[in-house]
Amino acid sequence: MPVSNDELKGLYYYLNLVRISDERCRRLFKQGRFHGTYFSAVGQEATVVGPCYGLRPEDTIGIQHREMGAAITKGMPLKYILAELFARKDSPDRGKSHPCHYGWKPLGIITPASTIAAQTVIATGCALAYKIQKKDNVAVCFVGEGATSNGVWHEALNFAGIHRLNCVFVVQNNLWAESVPAALGVPVEDVSERAKAYGFPGVTIDGNDLFATYETSQEAIRRARKGDGPTLIEMKTYRWYGHSEIDPANYRTQEELEYWKKRDPVPRFEKILMERGVIDESYKLATIQRIERELEEAIEFAEKSPHPEPHEILEDVYAPL
Amino acid sequence: MKMDVAQETKGAIASDVKTMTYIEAITEGLREEMERDERIFLIGEDIAAYGGVFKATKGLYEKFGPMRVIDSPISENFLIQGAVGASIAGLIPSPEIQFDDFITLAMDAIVEHAAKMRYRSGGMFTCPMVIRCCYGGAVGGGLFHSQANQAWFMHCPGLVVVTPATPYDAKGLLKAAFRGQNPVLYYEHKRLYRTIKGPVPTHDYTVPLGKAAVVREGKHVTVISYALMLHRSLDAAEKLAAEGIDVEVIDLRTLLPYDKETILRSVEKTARAVVVYESSKTMGVGAEIGAMIAEDGFSFLDAPVRRVSPPDAPQEPFAPPLAEAYLPDANRIAEAIRETVAY
Ligand SMILES: Cc1ncc(C[n+]2csc(CCOP(=O)(O)OP(=O)(O)O)c2C)c(N)n1
Repeated sequence: MPVSNDELKGLYYYLNLVRISDERCRRLFKQGRFHGTYFSAVGQEATVVGPCYGLRPEDTIGIQHREMGAAITKGMPLKYILAELFARKDSPDRGKSHPCHYGWKPLGIITPASTIAAQTVIATGCALAYKIQKKDNVAVCFVGEGATSNGVWHEALNFAGIHRLNCVFVVQNNLWAESVPAALGVPVEDVSERAKAYGFPGVTIDGNDLFATYETSQEAIRRARKGDGPTLIEMKTYRWYGHSEIDPANYRTQEELEYWKKRDPVPRFEKILMERGVIDESYKLATIQRIERELEEAIEFAEKSPHPEPHEILEDVYAPL
Repeated sequence: MKMDVAQETKGAIASDVKTMTYIEAITEGLREEMERDERIFLIGEDIAAYGGVFKATKGLYEKFGPMRVIDSPISENFLIQGAVGASIAGLIPSPEIQFDDFITLAMDAIVEHAAKMRYRSGGMFTCPMVIRCCYGGAVGGGLFHSQANQAWFMHCPGLVVVTPATPYDAKGLLKAAFRGQNPVLYYEHKRLYRTIKGPVPTHDYTVPLGKAAVVREGKHVTVISYALMLHRSLDAAEKLAAEGIDVEVIDLRTLLPYDKETILRSVEKTARAVVVYESSKTMGVGAEIGAMIAEDGFSFLDAPVRRVSPPDAPQEPFAPPLAEAYLPDANRIAEAIRETVAY
């Protein structure tokens, strides 16, 4: 199906929104405006914008520490993303969880725990419910390649394969799991090969090409919605910065980083849209100004929101027995 | 002896009450709840056409079909975590862990996800579900089919942990679990499945979560127990009655969050407490109950709180003499009570 100009503009907006927000959050952390930690995904934006753009509100996404961009593209209000990072009372989690653990119920963005791969498993459970409820909702489940070494990720794919659940499994292969290279985490060249063991298709694509991530995801989402079962999409990509903002990433070479920076998904997509005349310089400027404005408002919202008070520590442990 | 059940069913005419086994009460509870609320579904190993290894789900697959009674692959972690997801999506799952000995594979799922979902999302996401888990010794199950791991889960705020001792409570607690908003770990004792029979009302009823029951009133000492050990404690109490020792027995029923008030009220009256539980002594259920009584009821006490439990062996071993030496019997419990009363 050809991608319309409106879709391209929408993708362009989210691609930039995710990039600019991420760079800004890194700065806010370095300035000490929020504490704890921050996991940047700069360089990987196309791996989340592609699968999440155009999802329905009732679709679910299973995300974790590095998928702020997925939450943003699914539509989680930026102010709540920032309030989460700032651990404020107005964060959807009321300051309870952990930085970069975004969740927003109205849009099916499941608040994660830190356990790697778990977000995929829980979202697969949502897909089981969709099957029982005879709904055509889709669950898009994100992990890094490192998470695919974890047994429970395999349990989820195995189950999704057996019951042909409405799942799209996205693996963002950014070549590193914290400091461990993919070669020491995954014994196959392409993680997508693993889909074969679970009886559904797996594909490997260029994760820095938003056209590819969008079109491949759309196809997989259509398949899932029709009840044709899951797809595993491996997106090869790269994170520019450390595992978190406190990791200098000394384990990798400068050449490797430079190689990937040349494959920056943002200008790459932008160039094509400009060439096709979908956008021009003034559109670009207006888009970036709009994003900066939205970000300012979100940061202000978060900074003005109070921290939770000590007595709230026992709130939301139990529902009334 | 004043049994809770006897009291609850007092005044009812015989036709309002059926006598059934503990496992029949569970099966009936599942069936009635599934009829009442179509959001409920069961998932577990061998639970569908096979009816479960102990037949707790017998007949339910035939009645409710493959979308509501699902045979799962051997994937304990997925079983629970997938259920968390299904719950978030609006269903009320009841995953079954076949033996408590395998629940460790689902530890992350229960502790990090089921128990913490409400808290970690600031109350946005909840995951009401009923995890059924078969546990317990005294069936010759050996080291890996006898475990009683409740104490681990009593350390998980956000989770409700229950374990019934009678058919009445088995059904009533199960129904209450399905009707609440919390994830409940429902522990059913495999030794009680077919050895315990009792009256169960034919009408709909629930047993409140978080409430213990005084199942025998007495004035000399309070025994706090649950499930299989409760029955052995009642046997011990019966023996001691002949010796003039009047034992009050409390069935905890809910292990987390447990009923401090009922325990303290009883200890205030008797001034002595013995906790009888099934799993190794150190850091077991008795450690918590004993510490709580020491902390909140110290001034009531005329004797140290006594723990009666298996020794600190990893679990009930297989060879019969070793298995015999593991779980406390009525004699061992009675001896500890005598010593506590004589202190
Ligand atoms: C079960 C578990 N083990 C270890 C960690 C600590 N940890 C957090 S992120 C991470 C690396 C994850 O790598 P990958 O899955 O490739 O995702 P990426 O961070 O590259 O996006 C590790 C080891 C964790 N959160 N959970």
